[in-house]
Amino acid sequence: MSSDNLPYAADAESPLKEAELEVLRKQYDREGQYVSIQTKFNYAWGLIKSDKAIDQRYGIKLLTEIFRDAPERRRECLYYLALGNYKLGNYAEARKYNDLLLEKENKNMQAMSLKGLIEDRVAKEGMLGVAILSGVVIAAGVMGSFLYKGLTKRR
Amino acid sequence: MVRRRHGSLVLYHQNTNISSFSRKVSSTAGTLIGPFSDPGSHYHNAMSEVSKDLKRPSIQKRVFSFSKTSPSEIVRSKLSATEISHRALTYLPDDLLKDIPENDASYSLFQGFKASVDTAATKKHREGKNLLEESTAGGPNNVTRLSKERDRTNEELDLLGVRKSIASGEIREIDRKIAQLTAIRGVVLERLAKLEQEETQLEHDLLELDNKIEDIQYDMVEEGGSPIEAEEAEAGFMSESIYSKLPSPKGRKRQKRKAMPILHEHMSPGSEIKEMQCHADLITALDFDFPFGKLVTAALDDTVRVWDLNSGRSLGQLEGHHASVKCLQVEDNYVATGSTDATIRFWDLSRSDGPSLPGSNSVTHKRGPQSNQEEDFEDDMSAISSPTGPRSSAGTQDCHLLTLDSHIGEVTALYFQNGTLVSGSADKTLRQWDLSTGRCVQTLDILWTASSTAASEDSGWSFASLGRSSSRSNLPEANADFVGALQCFDAALACGTADGLVRLWDLRSGQVHRSLVGHTGPVTALQFDDTYLVTGSMDRSIRIWDLRTGSISDAFAYEHPITSMQFDAARIVSAAGENYAKIYDRVDGRHWNCGAGAEGGKEDRLSTPAIVERVRAKEGYLVEGRRDGVVGIWTC
Repeated sequence: MSSDNLPYAADAESPLKEAELEVLRKQYDREGQYVSIQTKFNYAWGLIKSDKAIDQRYGIKLLTEIFRDAPERRRECLYYLALGNYKLGNYAEARKYNDLLLEKENKNMQAMSLKGLIEDRVAKEGMLGVAILSGVVIAAGVMGSFLYKGLTKRR
Repeated sequence: MVRRRHGSLVLYHQNTNISSFSRKVSSTAGTLIGPFSDPGSHYHNAMSEVSKDLKRPSIQKRVFSFSKTSPSEIVRSKLSATEISHRALTYLPDDLLKDIPENDASYSLFQGFKASVDTAATKKHREGKNLLEESTAGGPNNVTRLSKERDRTNEELDLLGVRKSIASGEIREIDRKIAQLTAIRGVVLERLAKLEQEETQLEHDLLELDNKIEDIQYDMVEEGGSPIEAEEAEAGFMSESIYSKLPSPKGRKRQKRKAMPILHEHMSPGSEIKEMQCHADLITALDFDFPFGKLVTAALDDTVRVWDLNSGRSLGQLEGHHASVKCLQVEDNYVATGSTDATIRFWDLSRSDGPSLPGSNSVTHKRGPQSNQEEDFEDDMSAISSPTGPRSSAGTQDCHLLTLDSHIGEVTALYFQNGTLVSGSADKTLRQWDLSTGRCVQTLDILWTASSTAASEDSGWSFASLGRSSSRSNLPEANADFVGALQCFDAALACGTADGLVRLWDLRSGQVHRSLVGHTGPVTALQFDDTYLVTGSMDRSIRIWDLRTGSISDAFAYEHPITSMQFDAARIVSAAGENYAKIYDRVDGRHWNCGAGAEGGKEDRLSTPAIVERVRAKEGYLVEGRRDGVVGIWTC
């Protein structure tokens, strides 16, 4: 895949205008049961670019359908699924899909940059989590020691 | 190659599994996406539907696995209902994830996205560009501006290329879907053919049972009553008018079918259903009762044969005529035949040995486009080579009901309906018969009526037409039958004659009340419905007349004289001296050829098919009889 075949993660952070998304949705609805893969993807990508979690979820659902129905598009779909899940905060999924893609194309710039982004985000949230967790543990320890002291005093 | 094929098969199976899952998914999608405010109940609804799939352990493992994830994700994936169902819906099984083929598409989905989103923008751009160009003048900035312009145009061109490949890709996709659907259609058609085969078999059995029951009942009655009484009853029955016999189910059970075959309606027009060698000589007349029913054929070899269109087997002969039969009509089980021996015979096919058709039980024939014609052919030939054998005539010897013999010239046209039969003969008369008594009730002398009408009317064309008819009689075409065709309905009768005139009669007064002038050769075929009258003539033309105005409403001509024609609401089918039938589609006004000699037909024929002499068509089921005695059956 050449470099301009896939959008960078930054592209996914700029939502389409309401009207633009509406156009894609209408196209998708009009084709109904026999919707073409391109139309479906257009709508799905528009949804993933959106900043609403509902839209993003639906976008991922559509992408999942494309992945299932069109084997020749699976490789591309992996990237979009990774990107969508990254935006939703499902880092495990995002990482899984992205790693699969990197397995196939280890020089894919977009996937590599996405990998970096996911790692950063997980690390940050992980630190935060560790901080919270350790905070809780310390608080519990303090409480425990107070209680212990109280008990021993009463005795 | 094989491996790949196998792979795609596996893939297909997966796809079917998946699509069933995705159907569930899409049906629950609405409930999942819409109401976020009340996730509880909807979640339950959704989950109850997907839970079946979720029970598979691998999925459970996947959905609830949270290795290497951030704490917030763990919290959400454990606690948020929508989150859980969403994960279930967008879950991709590992085997699918492993199966990722090389992408050989000429454009990526993202390029496709850009191309379709940018369509509107670039159009605007181009309009703007044209305006710009007008204001272009020399200057140093111009070069950079123009090169920028060039880059953009290049980009646009690329986008156009992508759009083009999107379109062609979509077309390929649609083609694939169409191919799949056609394949499925073929399978279903095959199934329909099989079902109809079974259906006919069952109807057959039913009829046999009915007849057995009736026989036993009849025997019981006979045993109960005195033999003389029974004989009297028999005699009374015989002397009763034929008319009372017509609708009566006495004797043999009327063969009324419960189900009508519809297979031919689903086959593509122009496909061959069957080909039968019915006679060894030119087919002079043929008719059938309904698609896949009974066919009666007459040929120059002086025989009249009855055929089962379903199996393609001979049911026997109608014996009695001393010369060849030139016209015949089949209506339900009744057959009228008009012969060159100047007699008309009337037959009832249900009085034959009906269900015990020779050989039809032992061999089940596969019907449909791939029917085993060679086998049929041999059987039919053997039937023909022993026409006097007991097998072919035994079944139909009781069929004869009436002989009508007042004509003094060969009978060339006949039509019957509701107990009235009208015949046209070379003695230049039309006779009207009462089928209940077997007597001639009216004789219409065509020439006398024509001259008297001409004398009483002083309109010029009547004289002209008379003069023409006399001059025409010297032409070689005059060897055509004087009465080429006729049809009646109630008191209305239309007949077409060798002078090219179509006369409309009133049977109550016995007068011609209108003549339709136009054909320049003998009329050979004629049929009317409530609005139109269609005629075919030796002058190569087919004319469609409007009966309400008496004027011509449409006409067209073929290369050779029309020998036979039949029409219904959808089409006009005619035999016009070619080795295929000519069909005029009345709905979309299209002419096309249907038959063995039509282009696109079978190339591997041993010899060129003979010229089609007679055609009959009902409900898109076309039967054509050729000069070499072959009868072909087609869909049209």
